[in-house]
Amino acid sequence: MEDHRVISLENVTFTYEGDVVALRDLNLAARRGEFVVVLGANGAGKSTLCYLISGIVPHIYGGRRRGDVRVVDLDPWDEPLYITAQRCGVLMQDPEVQLFMPTLKAELAFGPANLGVPREEILRRSREALALVRLEGLEEHNPRDLSGGQKQRAALASVLTMQPQVLVLDEPTSQLDPLGRWEVGEAIEQLKRTGDLTIVMTTHETEEVLHLADQVLVLEQGETVLQGPPGRVFAQTDRLERAGVKTPALVQIQALLQLNRADQPEDARWSLTVSEVADRIRRAVREGRLVIRPEAVAPPRRPVTDGPVVLEARNLTVEYPGPPPVTALRDVSLTIRQGEFVGIVGQNGSGKSTLVKCFVGLLRPKKGEVLFRGQNLRRFSVGEIARRIGLVLQNPDYQLFTASCRDEIRFGLRNVGIPENEIDRRVEEALQRVGLEAYADLFPFRLSFGDRRKLAVAATMALGPEVLILDEPTTAQDHRGRYQLAELARQFHEEGGTVLMITHDVDLIARYAQRLIVLHEGRVLLDGPTAEVFARVEELRKSFVVPPVAAQLAQALAPLGMPAHVMTLEELTRALTPTEG
Amino acid sequence: MQPAFRYTHLNTPIHRLHPLVKLAYLLLTLVLVMYPIRLTDMPILLIWLAFSAFLWALARIELRRFATLLKILLGTFVFLILIQGFTYRGGETPLIVLGHLKLWEADLGVIKKEGVWFGLVLSVRILAAASALPLFVMTTPTSAIMTAMGKLRVPQTATFMFVSALSFTTLLFEMWSSIVDAQKLRAFDIDAMNPIRRAFKAYIPIITPLILLLFRKANDFQIALETKGFGAPIRPTEVETLTTRPADYFWLALIVGVFVLCTVLKFS
Repeated sequence: MEDHRVISLENVTFTYEGDVVALRDLNLAARRGEFVVVLGANGAGKSTLCYLISGIVPHIYGGRRRGDVRVVDLDPWDEPLYITAQRCGVLMQDPEVQLFMPTLKAELAFGPANLGVPREEILRRSREALALVRLEGLEEHNPRDLSGGQKQRAALASVLTMQPQVLVLDEPTSQLDPLGRWEVGEAIEQLKRTGDLTIVMTTHETEEVLHLADQVLVLEQGETVLQGPPGRVFAQTDRLERAGVKTPALVQIQALLQLNRADQPEDARWSLTVSEVADRIRRAVREGRLVIRPEAVAPPRRPVTDGPVVLEARNLTVEYPGPPPVTALRDVSLTIRQGEFVGIVGQNGSGKSTLVKCFVGLLRPKKGEVLFRGQNLRRFSVGEIARRIGLVLQNPDYQLFTASCRDEIRFGLRNVGIPENEIDRRVEEALQRVGLEAYADLFPFRLSFGDRRKLAVAATMALGPEVLILDEPTTAQDHRGRYQLAELARQFHEEGGTVLMITHDVDLIARYAQRLIVLHEGRVLLDGPTAEVFARVEELRKSFVVPPVAAQLAQALAPLGMPAHVMTLEELTRALTPTEG
Repeated sequence: MQPAFRYTHLNTPIHRLHPLVKLAYLLLTLVLVMYPIRLTDMPILLIWLAFSAFLWALARIELRRFATLLKILLGTFVFLILIQGFTYRGGETPLIVLGHLKLWEADLGVIKKEGVWFGLVLSVRILAAASALPLFVMTTPTSAIMTAMGKLRVPQTATFMFVSALSFTTLLFEMWSSIVDAQKLRAFDIDAMNPIRRAFKAYIPIITPLILLLFRKANDFQIALETKGFGAPIRPTEVETLTTRPADYFWLALIVGVFVLCTVLKFS
């Protein structure tokens, strides 16, 4: 029997102008209401697939295509974009560029109004879309004034008013904080529940889509390496790893501990919640298939308590002028000691970036002071601060402007007055440290995003700071590149440096930080050894911070003797040993 | 960092005013300042400026916004006053004599009183013109501007270009601020530089990343626009409606009245 496919790609190969092959022999079929998840490392071809389905290719990005593409009975290649857009909507990563109207109401009306949809129908669709993404009451707000999660939901609603049958989501949560991710995730879940839309979503966050996916497609360098129901695809942990895709932690644990149930159908083999997996582990321990060995886990990492204080915030209050004025930090006091590796977490707007901007002198607090080795930071010039405290921003593209990587590192060194012969030595050393020596003369914008971030780290480290601050080192990175910056920070820490790391990635914190500070609404909510802070689940919930899966499992298994300070998968699997036979 | 003259949502008589009335005020301002300029025009310009100040006050626009406007224009004013002071042809009364440098009929070594006055008249003219636009932009939501332009039969593409330029200004300011901060982290402090150094050297590390980032954003912007049917060969629906109230006629009459008064004074 011929099924009705909403999306159908048969043997599709796509080559961009300049002969870059982005997709090879791709096959994909999706029916109405189906949720397709596309995974792969950066550069695997995920976005190209989105562009092919939505008609962005060839109408905006040119290239050559082989094979057949049908989306709701038409070939996007042959139709003008506004025709395809009525069948297939697209939501991109960055909500900022998708919102251009002065009010949310106008934003939602923009698409259907362009297509001449009657006014009353536009208003009805807008009401429905707003209710679905839970933004009712904000119609008159400027979309730019909304929070990150709200912006992305507004962008989603503005796509939904076009009433597409296919929705393409290209890493829709990659630039959001945990609350934003949760909000957008909930809206997507709601859409899936309606069952009308066929959804294609690309992501690096496999945990987020595990329970939504009907079909998973894994791409590697433009080729399909795995395809099928999530249970079958996620069981291939080694292949996923090779393709640079993160296996969901819960699946990984079950695979490593051989807890999956081979007698069950593919989709039911894996438990997808922490409590279910904890139950499976408990059962395996009771039945003697697993043994808990607390001694196999290294003792918890302790924060430095006796080193000299390098940075100190004393009663910091920072207010941004309005209208309306926003108090970003409220009477924050804390000290950072030499040799610490500190993680800072909190929602967007909790004050994390404001705090580190105070630490590097970019912001002057309204009240309170920042001390560097006991001296007020106001006494230091911009150059003096740069030589002592380095901040690596989330987006390297805000600072790269020279013709070569070498010049990019030289720029800061010249600004602080380092002699020319010393500059050359430091440039080479910095390039080697981040592994970019082969690209020394390359135009920085020709590097990948990950390498541009490494270059920004090199430019910062070349200045020889005592303190290194990383702002969201995993942003826009795939599974493979995720820890590259953190590894550079770890090296710096091992050499005696002090590291502060702002991130939403709790796995990153669990792996590297000795101490964790949680900021919430401009105040320090929690501050202590990482494992202890992760154990305070209720307080963390206030700030939408969820401890890593391994830490949650360790807490659930604590009555059986699992050490409570276990935070990583490696530690958990070390503590759980399968018995022989 | 936000643009200094962004729309602020308030409920004042000026905010409630029909956009076309505000547009009329804007156009009449432009007409007034385009009249051939004379030394004796100062009272007329001051009347219009005072009227604008009254509207600013009524719209509850903070005084610091006016200070920002003055700050932006100050360099131009100083330049105009000096250049007119030195070069104004009709001037005979020396104010400051620096020496004598004859160039054709003009003596470039003498600052003349009439020239300084003419420079001041020109400055007030620029101020009158410049103070009208923020009043319009800060009290009129962009959606209302779009609808009003639609009523004037301005093509949708042109209207959208105007509106998205306003929206992009915010993005531009945010990016500018982030880039300045990013370069400060490498000890490049543009804010601490003197204006001459800033003008000649400092902008490269700021403007280069700004342009590259804008190119990238523009691509995504195009995708977002075209996938929402922008440019489709279909007559777009007018979603926003504007209603006219009696107060709008009163204000229109007042604005036209002040304009007529100024015109009569000028040409009488």
